[in-house]
Amino acid sequence: MKGTELTYGDLTGFFQGLLEKKVVDALIMPFRAGNNIAYMLVRDKTKIVAPESVIFAPSFGVNAANIVKGWLIDEKVGVVAKPCETRAAVELFKLKQLSEKSVLLITVDCAGAYPNEIYAAHAAEIGNQLDSAKLKELAGKGIPIRDACAICENRLADVGDIAIARTSGEKVIVAGVTAMGEEALKAAGFTLEEKDLERKAEKEKILAEARANLEKLPRIESQAALEAFLRDCIVCKNCRDVCPVCYCKECFFDQPIGDPIAGDLLNLAEARGAIEVPANQLLYHLTRVYHVGTTCVACGACEDACPKGIPLTRFYPVVTKKVQELFEYVPGKDRAEPLPFTTYEEEELEECLR
Amino acid sequence: MGEEKKDFEPKIVGFTCNWCTYAGADLAGTSRKKYPPNIRIVRMMCTARLDPMFVMRALLNGADGVFIGGCHPGECHYIKGNFYSRRRVAAMRTILKQFGMDNRVQLHWISASEGDRFASTMKQLAATIKELGPNPMRNEIL
Repeated sequence: MKGTELTYGDLTGFFQGLLEKKVVDALIMPFRAGNNIAYMLVRDKTKIVAPESVIFAPSFGVNAANIVKGWLIDEKVGVVAKPCETRAAVELFKLKQLSEKSVLLITVDCAGAYPNEIYAAHAAEIGNQLDSAKLKELAGKGIPIRDACAICENRLADVGDIAIARTSGEKVIVAGVTAMGEEALKAAGFTLEEKDLERKAEKEKILAEARANLEKLPRIESQAALEAFLRDCIVCKNCRDVCPVCYCKECFFDQPIGDPIAGDLLNLAEARGAIEVPANQLLYHLTRVYHVGTTCVACGACEDACPKGIPLTRFYPVVTKKVQELFEYVPGKDRAEPLPFTTYEEEELEECLR
Repeated sequence: MGEEKKDFEPKIVGFTCNWCTYAGADLAGTSRKKYPPNIRIVRMMCTARLDPMFVMRALLNGADGVFIGGCHPGECHYIKGNFYSRRRVAAMRTILKQFGMDNRVQLHWISASEGDRFASTMKQLAATIKELGPNPMRNEIL
């Protein structure tokens, strides 16, 4: 990978330069509003203030890919986000919901994150960024990172067009991951040299931790357990709306069969004697988990969005991981790899059918 | 699960391809092959028409089993519909497996000339589902 080393102080200039030199027409990046971290869409470079204090901030509000979903215009937008968000954007390229030419994905290293409201409540303690020592210390104080982050296997910036990797001290390596990313860095006026961002040992450590944490996550292992798990679901479909890879314009569950009213409901109750209402909670989640089966990036946005506090990370990322293992597919990893449901092998999977 | 297994007659919803399994079932009938009458067939033009949601819906509405019948790999009337279907069913069963529900869903390849095979598959499927017992969701409020 070709890149350059920058200090924290240089980052303001870097992001401003992307706008100034017209590498991108706009930037979506985190900004600080009081204790909160939120995303902003920037056109005016002077609005970018102290980015080094926000881009690594361990706060998760929405998945940024969901914000740019449907960005199919010519104007180019740069998205500064965490690896899970970038991976979701790559899946959106494949699903034709995002134009590859109009998005410059800038991925930052992530050490895990807190739900944005938790982050805001403990901003002083948590600070601008997280490392493993601090993460343990905070967990000891009863402020654990999100489950989705604890089981995340891909926290280092190695996807997207440009990676911003943390190194020791107040320094970062900014490197081009794709040709487009490299071009963008050159256009922004940087001289690039070969940088080693493989970080194999660190990745293996993260992987081991993530797998251990996944083992600790409570399992939903039977149909009865699944029903119990979803008992509080009110079928508000927030988990769908915040999901970066759920994109149907006309969702089945907004239509009469998926979202029955009046007479249709009555017919269902007639057939079964009684039905739980709002109806279709199990059908909704089982169908949705199939729909995102190969593309779920396990960002945990669904859990954060659930108004009933159902820990959906125990369902969506865990269930979809098995589907992804079946097709040996890692969503968001490789742009050139086709979506599993759009391709096939002539001889495969016969052992999984009956 | 109030019903005794021996008295239990499973309801199986079958989704069959017009070009093969549906005709295979027809052949089984016209050649007077005996098979258990548990299946209710829905004819589709191709197994690739099967939205996995149909399967979930059948199971959640009380079907004890779901049968999907398509053309042998390489023999699809639409060239590759059954290849896509195979991936979808494999993914769906992988999901259902985690909740112990996968054995109720089966995909078989049965051609238009395989009346015998259709009959024997039905026998075997009905026995399997009988062994599993009634779908626990059959009588539940959901």
